[in-house]
Amino acid sequence: MTGLLEYFEKNPETSVVIFAGKGGLGKTTCSAALSYYMATVQQRRVLCFSTDPQASLSDIFERDLFGKGEIEIVPNLFVVEIDADKRIKEYQEEVKRKILDMYKLDKLPEEVEEYIESASAEPAMYESATYDAMAELVARGEYDLYVFDMPPFGHGVRMVAMAEILAKWVDKITEAREEARKYEAVAATLRGKRVEEDELLKELLEIKKKMSFFTELLTDSRKTAFFMVLVPEKMAILDTERALEMFEALGIRMSGVVVNQVYPRELLDDPKTPEFLRNKVVSQQKYLEEIKEKFGKYIVAVIPAFDREPKGFEMLKLVSEHLMKSRIEL
Amino acid sequence: MPLIGSEKKEKKGEGGIKGVLYGMAVHGSVTAFLKTRMYMEHLFMLMTLGDMLGFPIIPPYYSLKLLPYVVPNIKAWKMRMFRERDFTDLITS
Repeated sequence: MTGLLEYFEKNPETSVVIFAGKGGLGKTTCSAALSYYMATVQQRRVLCFSTDPQASLSDIFERDLFGKGEIEIVPNLFVVEIDADKRIKEYQEEVKRKILDMYKLDKLPEEVEEYIESASAEPAMYESATYDAMAELVARGEYDLYVFDMPPFGHGVRMVAMAEILAKWVDKITEAREEARKYEAVAATLRGKRVEEDELLKELLEIKKKMSFFTELLTDSRKTAFFMVLVPEKMAILDTERALEMFEALGIRMSGVVVNQVYPRELLDDPKTPEFLRNKVVSQQKYLEEIKEKFGKYIVAVIPAFDREPKGFEMLKLVSEHLMKSRIEL
Repeated sequence: MPLIGSEKKEKKGEGGIKGVLYGMAVHGSVTAFLKTRMYMEHLFMLMTLGDMLGFPIIPPYYSLKLLPYVVPNIKAWKMRMFRERDFTDLITS
């Protein structure tokens, strides 16, 4: 195990990195540390994107980033913390304005207004909006590396599953639309009229293009890396096992496991180590054995527990050194 | 002035013949095609905006993107979907 640096050397085409895992284990820290390293040491143009509604990139970078768009924190390092609620609001307004403009109306028909409101309250709306934001950023292709800090495991993986469902749905309705167009075309020709261009079909194809580009990228293991972050605790191990199964079911290859918050084993050798800490280290050692046994070949990096919160550039640099060139042997 | 009148008449006559020919030859099939087209349009709307009638739809996000294009069809669609049907439909529709 030699850290993420070796992974990038072996997979030079990697342009998307996704950190997934249970909440509070250090996904955001890893995302920030990797982004920081790539931007400062390798001078790559990096976008660090948080899809977590409880995003804490603002905390780590010690700057308010929430819903502010792409912000360049240090040269080459751009950070986005998406405010999905705000995005949905803007999107709603955009749809309403479009209808008013298209049909030269002063006011929306009541049923349309109601529909827009109720559709936006749907829980799936939130995920779709986040996903769409991700897809849009990647489709623009302005960065060398995209680092996504996924929300806690459950819907982090589901987001990828949703991408496939969405793509299939768009495929189906595009088909239905094209079929309907055929009949219209025949009728128009018989009446000696010209077929009008179908704006809706154009919009659908646009959505489809964006979505399939992103889905293909996510499932291409040469270009996209998925890392699971876990700590030496029972719950985290169970969650990682479940995630591995889900990844397999989705046909996604997990690129590696990052073990975080590891207490130094040497504490056991020091007779002055207090009982409380000693117990913690012993318990961690037990779970580290289990991790080695279960995910041995997946482990790419081990990050120690720090005596301070991982905040600010100095701490990020320290974390990134462990993440990129892991020195701790399990 | 009378020239314009006669011109108008001639045009009308021409259109009339065209109309008769159209009616005899293809009006039936055009109507049929347009009807099929309407059914498909309504089916499409059900797939994209079905939640407006209570059918759950997976990604409402993209439904909203398509909504502006079908606004004029919503009334007719709802009426068709909610209409009561009986055997006389077979004769009249």
